[in-house]
Amino acid sequence: MSNRIIEVSQLSKTYKEGTEAVKNISFSVKEGEFFAFLGPNGAGKSTTIKMLTTLMKPTFGEGKIAGYDLLQKPEKIRLQIGVALQNTAIDPALTGRELIILQGRLFGFSKAEAIKRAKELLELVGLTKDADKQCGKYSGGMQRRLDLAMTLVHRPKVLFLDEPTVGLDPASRMDLWQEIKKLNKEYGTTIFLTTQYLEEADEVADRVGIINDGEIVALEKPEALKSSLMLDKIKLFFRSIQEKEKAQKAMMEITSNLESLDNQIILHLQKNREYLPVILGKLAAVHVFPIDIQIASPTLDDVFLQIIRDKKSTNENRGV
Amino acid sequence: MKNKVLIKDIMLLTKRSLIAAIRNPYAYIPNFIISLFFLFVYTAGIGAVTDLPTLEGVNYTAFILPVSVVSAAIGAATGAVQTLVKDLESGYFARLLLTPTSRLAIVLGPIITGMLQLVVQTILLTMVAILMGVRIYRGIGGFIIILVLVTGLGLAFTGYAATVALVTKSSHAVQMSTMIFFPMLFLSTTFVPLDLIETGWLRIAAIINPTTYIFEGMRALLIEGWRSAYILYGFLVGSIASVITITIATKSAARAFNGE
Repeated sequence: MSNRIIEVSQLSKTYKEGTEAVKNISFSVKEGEFFAFLGPNGAGKSTTIKMLTTLMKPTFGEGKIAGYDLLQKPEKIRLQIGVALQNTAIDPALTGRELIILQGRLFGFSKAEAIKRAKELLELVGLTKDADKQCGKYSGGMQRRLDLAMTLVHRPKVLFLDEPTVGLDPASRMDLWQEIKKLNKEYGTTIFLTTQYLEEADEVADRVGIINDGEIVALEKPEALKSSLMLDKIKLFFRSIQEKEKAQKAMMEITSNLESLDNQIILHLQKNREYLPVILGKLAAVHVFPIDIQIASPTLDDVFLQIIRDKKSTNENRGV
Repeated sequence: MKNKVLIKDIMLLTKRSLIAAIRNPYAYIPNFIISLFFLFVYTAGIGAVTDLPTLEGVNYTAFILPVSVVSAAIGAATGAVQTLVKDLESGYFARLLLTPTSRLAIVLGPIITGMLQLVVQTILLTMVAILMGVRIYRGIGGFIIILVLVTGLGLAFTGYAATVALVTKSSHAVQMSTMIFFPMLFLSTTFVPLDLIETGWLRIAAIINPTTYIFEGMRALLIEGWRSAYILYGFLVGSIASVITITIATKSAARAFNGE
């Protein structure tokens, strides 16, 4: 029990205009764990992060961060957590060094300690050379790295990152991931990350939670999530609608999980190397040959659709 | 101990706003020039009203100086609130809320910077007025009270605009809210004393308008023979209004992200 650094029970948030952004969510994150919280726009990710970081009061439910209650001890929680919200939260008129020093001083560091810590962090995020430039003149990637450095000033036990890579070019994105992975592996910092990108979560996370419409719909290790949900999408294109219809009948023998659009068929199949020869064999048997075949890995949208479909059918079976 | 930390944090956040203000002079120089313009243009354009009985023998530049000073004060207050709006928009405000710093320090940092700016502008405008022949009737002590009166008004206005900023988080809404500047400045004893305002509604507006008491309080310090009770009224109006608006702004800061 003691190593659960985030514990959430029936947490809910209803905005005053009536939107239920988060509905009764419960989960926990272990100390040192890299937890990814996924969901489409408006699913409730940011609201959850704002509640967990004391920026917003829950309407109902409770939560504990590092053993402190969200409502009772928000000031204690703020000393344990670092938060990088969606926007890079900087004052563009100040230099990178000035901002980190100010952040340190606000966390109670002496002037000398704050200066020393700023030097370490600027080195960690590779901004030493530009430390004394006004950060309004930094590139998007540099601002993100500065934002991360400011988040780390007080050596937080838990780092909350709300879509940290949005708007970054691939190189900056990779650099930022290196930093975050290093914090997790080398310093044991617990990471709570929200993202829309499944591939990001897949690569770095120990565990993934999926939120949709304010509810947690999956809570798994990435491998488990993939094996239960990962379907490949095979698109078959035909010369005419007649050929497509003929092919569709043949494909129904392989799976009923298919879509038909104009002159194409989209099959959703479990990732499996053997399906292609089977598909081509079935098509040859009815003398139809596709003009193009495309195989695509599922996007997060596909995973969501699948989860939601499963959820719907479970509810229907239960008569809900 | 707690107070020591609060004072340290207020100083740190004021220093940060000051650095930002110094690095962006375009934010306050136009406002100062407009206030200076008021001083010159009104003195030259309507200075002749000192021929009227109530104003006989009064130096009109001394009479209009409070208008110029209040205009500069409102500009400085608006600048301070724009810093808050920028922080809200950039997310820096949320970052400050996530530190152990008190909400009061977060709100006061830019406000004190605005007030320092206001004090510097008042000193400069008064120096110009002195060069134009104004003599401060109550001397240096009187001038310090002028600074207190104008700071009271500036704080009250900042608290009001900061509340709009924190509730709406919109720079447009703040800009709209500062339009109140016009009735505050002009529906008052702006150009002539109350006795000379003959239009009924304008007279009532001037009596209700808190700015009137700030203007008249300052005039009592600048001009010989002006009713000195206004100094006390001005002081009371400034303190009560600023305590109310700054308290509401601080409460709004804590609620800024709660969405309730």
